[in-house]
Amino acid sequence: MSFRKRNIGLSAGVDRTAIPNAPAQPAPESIPGIRPSPDDGRPTTSTGTPSLDNLLAGHAGLPMGKSLLIEENGTTDFAGALLRYYAAEGVVQEQKVHVVGVPEQWGRSLPGLIGTAESLNDKRSDKRKDEKMKIAWRYERLGEFGAGIAGSRDAPAPASTGEQDGKPQAAFCHAFDLTKRLAHPSITNMTFTPVVPSRESPFTAILKRLQTAIASDSPNTIHRIVIPSLLNPTTYPPNACMPEYVLQFLHGLKALMSAYATRVTAMITLPLSLFPRSSGLVSWVELLSDGVIELCPFPHSSDALAASGGATSSEEPPQGMLKTHRLPVLHERGGGSDQNVGLDWAFILSRRRFEIKPFSLPPDEGDKEAQEAPASGGMPKKSDLEF
Amino acid sequence: MPSQPPLPPLLAPYLSAQPEASLTLVSSILGATSNWLTLRFLHASLSTSSNLNASLGLGESHNGSKKVVLVSFLRGWEFWRAEAKRLGLDLARLADKKQFAFVDGLSELFSAPQTVNAMPSVPSIASGPTRTSLPFRSQPGAVPGRGPPSAAPALAMNNDNLARSQTEQGIVKKLHFSGRGIAALDALERDIASVIQLQKSSMEDGEELLLIIDQPDFLLAATGPVMGIGATEMAEWVSGLQQHVHATIVTLAADSPLIHNASTSGHQMATPVESEHAAFAISLAHRARSVMQLRTLETGAARDVSGVLRISRGGGADDSVEERELLYYIQRDGGLSVFGRGES
Repeated sequence: MSFRKRNIGLSAGVDRTAIPNAPAQPAPESIPGIRPSPDDGRPTTSTGTPSLDNLLAGHAGLPMGKSLLIEENGTTDFAGALLRYYAAEGVVQEQKVHVVGVPEQWGRSLPGLIGTAESLNDKRSDKRKDEKMKIAWRYERLGEFGAGIAGSRDAPAPASTGEQDGKPQAAFCHAFDLTKRLAHPSITNMTFTPVVPSRESPFTAILKRLQTAIASDSPNTIHRIVIPSLLNPTTYPPNACMPEYVLQFLHGLKALMSAYATRVTAMITLPLSLFPRSSGLVSWVELLSDGVIELCPFPHSSDALAASGGATSSEEPPQGMLKTHRLPVLHERGGGSDQNVGLDWAFILSRRRFEIKPFSLPPDEGDKEAQEAPASGGMPKKSDLEF
Repeated sequence: MPSQPPLPPLLAPYLSAQPEASLTLVSSILGATSNWLTLRFLHASLSTSSNLNASLGLGESHNGSKKVVLVSFLRGWEFWRAEAKRLGLDLARLADKKQFAFVDGLSELFSAPQTVNAMPSVPSIASGPTRTSLPFRSQPGAVPGRGPPSAAPALAMNNDNLARSQTEQGIVKKLHFSGRGIAALDALERDIASVIQLQKSSMEDGEELLLIIDQPDFLLAATGPVMGIGATEMAEWVSGLQQHVHATIVTLAADSPLIHNASTSGHQMATPVESEHAAFAISLAHRARSVMQLRTLETGAARDVSGVLRISRGGGADDSVEERELLYYIQRDGGLSVFGRGES
């Protein structure tokens, strides 16, 4: 470690964004929506959520051939929002999106496209510039503090994002609006695989369909496998929870993804309230996934507390905690050495973005009386202090 | 932190010398996987530089090279090949030299027939970065070893992928699980044993064969008592394989739900997955010479520590195993450093 420069700015993961002089956008990719990881050059694709991309162990995207499991506590559907961004990003990038287990209405409720992620960032930082005093322009390209978690790779490009130029440079990640509906020509490319209850494993047919679809497609097509709410009893028959069925399915999925390691990614959500992490089955589901992220939304009662959580009033209060249990590639190699691991993350879902940022406990405002009590009660007089 | 050689000195004695008929158990958890340690075992056994060390007198029992058979249930050939390359091991070349063999328990373990049928147009698959690992095997399971003459003509019609898939075909034996119960396990054992025999056939005097089974506990979890496979059967399966080789290394998961839920202190009944897994892990630990436990730091993540490696004596230990607890750190470039607590 000692050979590494230590004094290169503390903000999020500069060592991985590394080599500031290297072109931020690598050589034009033959396949849109795919870019090499800044960490080791393997192809990655976007999850549709910039801050989630940045969380993934320095790859600034989901590496191809890897799966991400998103677990959620409680009855909220934040994981579903992440999944919709992921699917919508796939549609916009004209990748083939395979959705398992939900009817086609799900596909119609994808969030609407409002531009590239960079354009949204630009707008935001413009607003910020107006409001805030500029401290040092040369730090600007490092991104807003805490906004891009692993250092925003896309910030340095001098405002030449797709929209203004007219000649769009292929965007890696897009921004979506949850209140709008996605209308895109390639939305019809989505396929929906229903879960058909059967006496045998309900997953066999699903896996077979996925396999045929991917095997028969041209080698340049990128596929996304979207599995909302795995094992949820409203979609899956009771026997789906039998370990031999679901684990064999996930193993088959893993085999499929390692066979087409440059063409497939997958995202799965799992309701933790029904299948707690303390059960052996869920442990195996996690072990079979390349990345495991857990969402713990705050209960409503703590809204008041959360509301004061933002450092300033202009910041939105966090809606929950996010834990990373395993990250793709990094943990397969042994883990550690990523500064994103083990930190406390908070997430905020707003109309236009799902943002993940470091969580910090708010100052305890309820403690005001305690602070003031000694002051009013008996602030030591000056004479008491002097000897 | 100074970079250490691929086999850090603190770790080397545990990796290189495996006595006859010994079993080493490596346990991992979600956040502290065992792949890096498996790779170090490969490196200790296969690398020529470790023989150099032996000649310098670092390891006495290390005369002659070793052969390794790796059976992996959760990770494919590409992963092991790429990661070993980062350590300077060319597994493909070693496989050509019959020093290494890989048994693939991932690709077609549960889904062999479908993939074969679903690929009517194999020869027309274009080249490119894709790895078409759906080779057409004339008769899955019928050919015991890797008969090169039978596999080669079938592949000869493909031009681009030919070389690659052929080598892959030559190196990789794919496991298929079919049927249920002990019969299914026996079939797997025969497949693995055939690979072992093939390696043995080219063995010289003084060579040792090391078998690494990566996460056989998955097989147990994905089949379970419903399919007639329990902890006892799995433990017997492992000992059956042990008889073919000099020494065995088994990795398995030891996440807390998989081990602790089975105990009676739990507030609810343990599911079969949990109880069978715990029984399997414990029975192996009792037979093992040493148990290498990988876990994350209890105090939370640290920037320069990946996890804790605890080496303890198993039930079948002799006095030669020194118990230790070490910290390890995997650098971004794949380098490893192992150190004691408080050192760096």
